Amino acid sequence: MKAADILALKESALGEARTAGTAEALEQVRIKYLGRKGLLPEIMKGLKDADVSERPAMGRYANELKQELAALLETRRAAVATASADAATEAFDPTLPGRWRALGARHPISRIIEDAIRIFDNLGFTVADGPDIETEYHNFDALNTPAGHPSRDTQDTFWLESGQLLRTQTSPVQIRVMESRPPPVRIIAPGRCYRRDTTDATHSANFHQIEGLYVDKCVSMADLKGDITCFARRMMGADVKVRFRPHFFPFTEPSVEYDFSCHVCGGKGCRVCKQSGWIEISGAGMVNPKVFAKVGYDPEAVTGYAFGMGVERIAMIRYGIHDIRLLYDNDKRFLEQLAQ
Amino acid sequence: MKVSLNWLKDFVAVEASPESLAERLTFAGLEVEGVTRIGSDFKDIVVGEVLSVNPHPNADRLTLCDVATGRETVRVVCGAPNVHAGDKVPFAAIGAVLPNGMKIKSAKIRGEASFGMLCAEDELGLSEDHAGLMQLPRDIPAGTPLVDVVGGPDAVLTIEVTPNRPDCLSILGIAREVAALYGLRLNLPSIQFPETDPSAEGLKVAVEDAEGCPRYTARILKGVTIAPSPLAMRLRLTRCGIRPINNIVDITNYVMLECGQPLHAFDLTLLKESHIVVRRARPNETMATLDAVERKLTPDMLVIADAQSPVAIAGVMGGVQSGILDTTRDVVLESACFKPALIRKTSKTLGLSTESSYRFERGVDIRGVDWASRRATALMVAHAGATVAKGVLDCFPVEPEERSIVCRFDRVRDLLGIDIKNAEITSLFEALALTVVDCDKKSCTVKAPTFRPDLEAEVDLIEEVARMHGLDKIPAAAPHSRFVQGVNDAFIRATITCRDALVGLGLTEIMNYSLVSEKLLVLCDAARTGQRIAIPRPISADQAILRDALLPQMIETLGRNRSRQIAEAAFFEIGRVFFRNDQKAYTEEEHVAIGLMGPAGRTGFEKRSATAEADSFLWLKGILEALCRKLFIRVDERPAGRDQPSGLAFQELTEADPPPALYDLGCFEKSRCTVITLDGISCGVVGLVRETLRREWRLAEPVAVLEMRLAPLLERVTTVPAAERLPVYPSVARDMALRVNNRIRHGDIVSAIWKIAPKELTTVELFDIFTSNEIGIGFKSMAYSLTYRSGDRTLTDDEVNRLHESIKDRLRSEMSVEIREG
Repeated sequence: MKAADILALKESALGEARTAGTAEALEQVRIKYLGRKGLLPEIMKGLKDADVSERPAMGRYANELKQELAALLETRRAAVATASADAATEAFDPTLPGRWRALGARHPISRIIEDAIRIFDNLGFTVADGPDIETEYHNFDALNTPAGHPSRDTQDTFWLESGQLLRTQTSPVQIRVMESRPPPVRIIAPGRCYRRDTTDATHSANFHQIEGLYVDKCVSMADLKGDITCFARRMMGADVKVRFRPHFFPFTEPSVEYDFSCHVCGGKGCRVCKQSGWIEISGAGMVNPKVFAKVGYDPEAVTGYAFGMGVERIAMIRYGIHDIRLLYDNDKRFLEQLAQ
Repeated sequence: MKVSLNWLKDFVAVEASPESLAERLTFAGLEVEGVTRIGSDFKDIVVGEVLSVNPHPNADRLTLCDVATGRETVRVVCGAPNVHAGDKVPFAAIGAVLPNGMKIKSAKIRGEASFGMLCAEDELGLSEDHAGLMQLPRDIPAGTPLVDVVGGPDAVLTIEVTPNRPDCLSILGIAREVAALYGLRLNLPSIQFPETDPSAEGLKVAVEDAEGCPRYTARILKGVTIAPSPLAMRLRLTRCGIRPINNIVDITNYVMLECGQPLHAFDLTLLKESHIVVRRARPNETMATLDAVERKLTPDMLVIADAQSPVAIAGVMGGVQSGILDTTRDVVLESACFKPALIRKTSKTLGLSTESSYRFERGVDIRGVDWASRRATALMVAHAGATVAKGVLDCFPVEPEERSIVCRFDRVRDLLGIDIKNAEITSLFEALALTVVDCDKKSCTVKAPTFRPDLEAEVDLIEEVARMHGLDKIPAAAPHSRFVQGVNDAFIRATITCRDALVGLGLTEIMNYSLVSEKLLVLCDAARTGQRIAIPRPISADQAILRDALLPQMIETLGRNRSRQIAEAAFFEIGRVFFRNDQKAYTEEEHVAIGLMGPAGRTGFEKRSATAEADSFLWLKGILEALCRKLFIRVDERPAGRDQPSGLAFQELTEADPPPALYDLGCFEKSRCTVITLDGISCGVVGLVRETLRREWRLAEPVAVLEMRLAPLLERVTTVPAAERLPVYPSVARDMALRVNNRIRHGDIVSAIWKIAPKELTTVELFDIFTSNEIGIGFKSMAYSLTYRSGDRTLTDDEVNRLHESIKDRLRSEMSVEIREG
């Protein structure tokens, strides 16, 4: 071994380090030359056997080889790391579509019912329920709508073979609740109702209502107006106005119908509200003393209000749905649009 | 109820515009649904006389008419089919503007000059009629301004009259409301007429059913001439939706519209023995009504009969046989009051609702019966040349008492939540023609007139105050929270939690109709027909049965979506089902159904690979398991401890032990479904839809569905979980791979492992399953990861290896499995 051999070895080592393109290849070079069993330690081991005159140069060259190669490997390693990081960065494509599990969606009808439950929850209402298959007594007679009453005409009824019927309104729940407990009562009752309506854009043989009932000492029409207005604002938005028109229902006296100001035009008049600025929601009123008498409440001791509202109607105006059938068509695209 | 504003003005001199009146009425409880403007002042439109009609040389359907306009004769090209020489028709001169905005100009029509236009009713805004030219009475001179013939501009208000206000089914009733609202005086028309001998006594009237007919009046009018009624009357009738017929019939209708009292006119000579009997129909009696339908009558119907047979169905419709003919000379005018329920029932039974029955059903004013008769008689004298036989036959045995109602002023204020003075309350009553007979500081007593049958109790008077004072004057009280003893709504609130959980799992909620077609139900499960509840007289075959399961519509919904190119869907529905229970009683129950179609649940590029049966099923099973966890139902392959509920489990469906007939088993592929049990009780079925059913909706890929009762799912929803101490010592995992026969199921292996498990075994997790040539046909490799942990120390490698080996040994010896090593 001569000093010149070490210089040659150094050239080949540096040459290999320069051409090694990956971190692994650089490591191979390091191991080959500088490793525990590498060429350089071999040389250092053989130094003691070398010609004395060659020894200082060989030592110096070996040291140079070690330092220069180590330094070069370090630079190369950094360069290679940068290059591979750049390659990885290039390969990383954040514009690829995201991966996600499908989001579910609530049906607008159940959504509105739930919103109403929540709104009335804040006012201290609990939620009552009743059967869809009702007795004539609960659906009509107890609500001061005896057989032969013209009001029955407006609620064309599905009668069943047993003489029972599919409830035409959620109002029978009022009766069931009052029958079961003394006043005060503060409930809402969402549920499905049925009328013999041929299905079209605004009619459906089954539909949903939310009934409300508050019976206590000194409940007044002013309370009814206040609570309905509160509901309207929370359901439809803070700017909504509510107006009341006198009407007739057998089980309330006085009776009213109430309208919300049109949420589309803000009351200026548009196609949705037929230029009136108002959208009819439903009926309400003060519980008729005759109804109290039926359930054994003393009409002198308590007063109360009751209201109903059509859920489909609220859904249609809240979401701008023009055909009630869409709510029962269950097209996935339609339902997902309304997911909140 | 349609009300002509001009007609209304005969009764009350209201000046308000139609729109402002409509608004005022609506807020007084008479909802005006629409206002239709009629006619105009008809400037430059006069009565024209058609002098001659000649064919148009260039058009078959047009004619050339020479029309005398009073001042000149002009040539008009006319397209109407009903133009004849001698006709008197509306003529719009050049320069006239029709109510629809059309301006009349001289024009050449197919080469012929035309100097004006002959008009149909719709062109004048008088009605929708465009059948031909409006024919005017021939005795009106040409050149008379049209406005003098048909009246000036009018408006028709369409009013929704609620069932409690029969009095408002008349111009008079509406006029009373208007008078009260505007503080105006009511003007009643004349009911004066001369009477001549002989007296009306020649007619005999017997009321056999005084309960059904509390009042019956008859007048006899002789020597009438049947003719068209005056144009003004015909126009008013048309405006209010009634077709003119002849002067006598028109007058009965006219007076009915005026005061709400239906009237009927008989031809006296057609009444056998000049006899009128008000009685129940006899069994098997029939009668042809004016609409030329032979009606079967029953003894619960009231009829007007002559000496022999019925001549009218009381309050509903007259008979053909005794009706007014062109030759009629002598008329019996009936004005009566019938019991509302009786008329209603008859009308329902016959399926025959008329203007008359509509009013009788709601109740007419028994005291107004004779006024109506007199009013009609006066008009028949004026317009049909009648002479009136002296007197009236009036069967009115019991004079009704006027109700006295006490109204407490404080009650008014309390119920309405308003501050209103006593005097204001009483003056509102008086404006409505309710007589205040007694009044002190606390209350007043009010007499309710017979035309207001809705006023029965104090609260009815309070309603009058509310609507006349104005609902807008009732303040909206600040809403306040008030907590009273609530009803138990745990189930409803739990349902909301369940819905939210399902949505959180990526499902979309659907809602289907409760009424379904029998065809769909039978298609899905023919075995359950006996328990289903059918709707008598359904509206349509599509809505004939109350659904007894959610699955048929779930599958149909998936199919409908598929047909709209929606390949993937994950739906759920929570809804009621209805069926007859074992005792045949109607039962309703809340169910939940889930349906998965296509690569539901997969993400990204995984969606492209075909959906295998097992994928669909297991994805659905996973949803159910996740739902149960969310609702605090135990989901664990490890057998339940002694005090633990078993929670969610699946039970093979066997022929020998089918679950209760609650579920639509017919929807499922027999060998691809399993019964869902919660705490050991079966409450639903999960599986794959049978292929033959899928094909109905061209669903090519597997569809996984489940339906179960909702209540058992919600039982633990309010559980408050208890925090358990987290493990202190580390766990150690060891894997094992088994080569097993395909017949052996994961469940068999897991339960075998748990059966022999040392107490240190904490979890068993399947992490791989595959088949290969090396494993061999009929076999599969299943790889499990078992975790061991001790509660009181760190397990050593040797300990864990020993435990793991002991499990392997037992599996080897007890099941025919081979442990794959290496």
